[in-house]
Amino acid sequence: MRDRLPDERIAALSLQILIDRDKCMGSGNCVFWAPGTFDLGDDGISVVLEPAEGEESKMFLAQEGCPTRAISLWRDGVEVTSP
Amino acid sequence: MMSASLDETVAETAPFDPFELQDTVTGDIRDPYPRMADLRRQSAVHFGNIDFTGSDDPEPPLVSEVPVPVSVFGHDEVVSVLRDDRTYSSTVYEGIMGVVMGPTILQMDAPRHKVQRALVSPAFRSRILERWETELVRSVVDDLIDAFAARGRADLVRELNFGFPVQVIARILGLPMVDYPKFQEWTIGLISVASNWDRAMAASEELRVYLTAVIEQRRRQPADDLISDLVVAEIEGERLSDEDILAFLRLLLPAGVETTYRATGNLLFGLLQHPEQLEALRNDRALFPQAFEESLRWEPPVTVILRKTLKDAVLGGVPIPANSDVGLFLGAANRDDRRYADPDTFDMFRQAQQHVGFGFGVHMCLGMHLARMEARVAVNAILDRLDDIRFDPDADDDPHIHGMAFRSPTSLPVCFSPR
Repeated sequence: MRDRLPDERIAALSLQILIDRDKCMGSGNCVFWAPGTFDLGDDGISVVLEPAEGEESKMFLAQEGCPTRAISLWRDGVEVTSP
Repeated sequence: MMSASLDETVAETAPFDPFELQDTVTGDIRDPYPRMADLRRQSAVHFGNIDFTGSDDPEPPLVSEVPVPVSVFGHDEVVSVLRDDRTYSSTVYEGIMGVVMGPTILQMDAPRHKVQRALVSPAFRSRILERWETELVRSVVDDLIDAFAARGRADLVRELNFGFPVQVIARILGLPMVDYPKFQEWTIGLISVASNWDRAMAASEELRVYLTAVIEQRRRQPADDLISDLVVAEIEGERLSDEDILAFLRLLLPAGVETTYRATGNLLFGLLQHPEQLEALRNDRALFPQAFEESLRWEPPVTVILRKTLKDAVLGGVPIPANSDVGLFLGAANRDDRRYADPDTFDMFRQAQQHVGFGFGVHMCLGMHLARMEARVAVNAILDRLDDIRFDPDADDDPHIHGMAFRSPTSLPVCFSPR
């Protein structure tokens, strides 16, 4: 459903991304779903890049697609899942 | 002594044997999905062995107070199990694949699994794999296409899909090309463990002898290959023993060969069945990721994986006793109509959603980036070189996807205009 939000609402989402380094197993699936937002560091653990324009919907795919749910998305101090 | 303990483990797991399902299937289960959807509508969780071979199969019970085989058909329930590896253990594989492969990461729980997986995973990161894309995969695929391109028709299952993953994995491991036919034979031997015990054990032993010599050689003289990387891999003082490496390599052959060849076949089948989607992909190769992910949702090559409950659990509101074997039907989860609209249709343009075609949780497919890259290179080569590719209307064949535990097309007879 998340991609079907009106464009202006997606643009209004300003998300904070948290990665739980203990949970992250370095699957790289976040990099697959949102390559502009995530990368793997030298230690194989996910890191957040400067998020690209219009990547919000992909961030939700990365969050949902993380096999160990190491990624959480936050807005105004509140955790958000797929809108 | 070895065979006595093996017999015991086999007897223990006999009531729930995915390979038995596979056998009935190679017999020919064409479409188990309607039956799975019927069962899921009653409950995401069922007890007892379930027969998928006929239309008048008895209905499996919805409750059980004693440990019997459990089958899970709902998406959210499958994801819950795969995320809870402290309740749902992978040690169930010790008595199945463990017998022919040895102690692989497939059958390990935390904390050992985390360490072992971290030791082997660097080689499977997408950036590391980039070097193989042009240097290896495209050239292997092109060679195979060269052999039939001028003919204007081919069976892509036998002439392309079956041949390339084994060459790719063998080269990544650093094994000589002259041995490739043996790997193919050993691979089939390993996965036929239920239907042909002697053959599986013979393949396992031949692989042990062959690979042990290679591991010893790489310890003396490291080369530019995965086995050399595994020999020196170290994390927080932990290293892989020869036994660990041997088991991992015996896992890699089927995991890297069987699954990729089947997944590529299922994608091609979906595309050939939907020429408008094939054409869209031909014109915009950036659509490949969504096309492949959709094929993995629609027809995952591995349709069932197993866990065992370490304690009493509740799944989708249903109590499951400790010590139950739990079969997770990935294919059914991927077609859960509570999550996916029109789930039985292959539609690469559907809303992107996470699926469980690669599994989920800490055991999620280690080779998923390699599989994605291999399938992309193969399909791109086909689209680059074989114009107007379509199912061959003159083929004396009835191509269809079949199987139960593993699913893929029986054949892909195509005709085309070679460039």
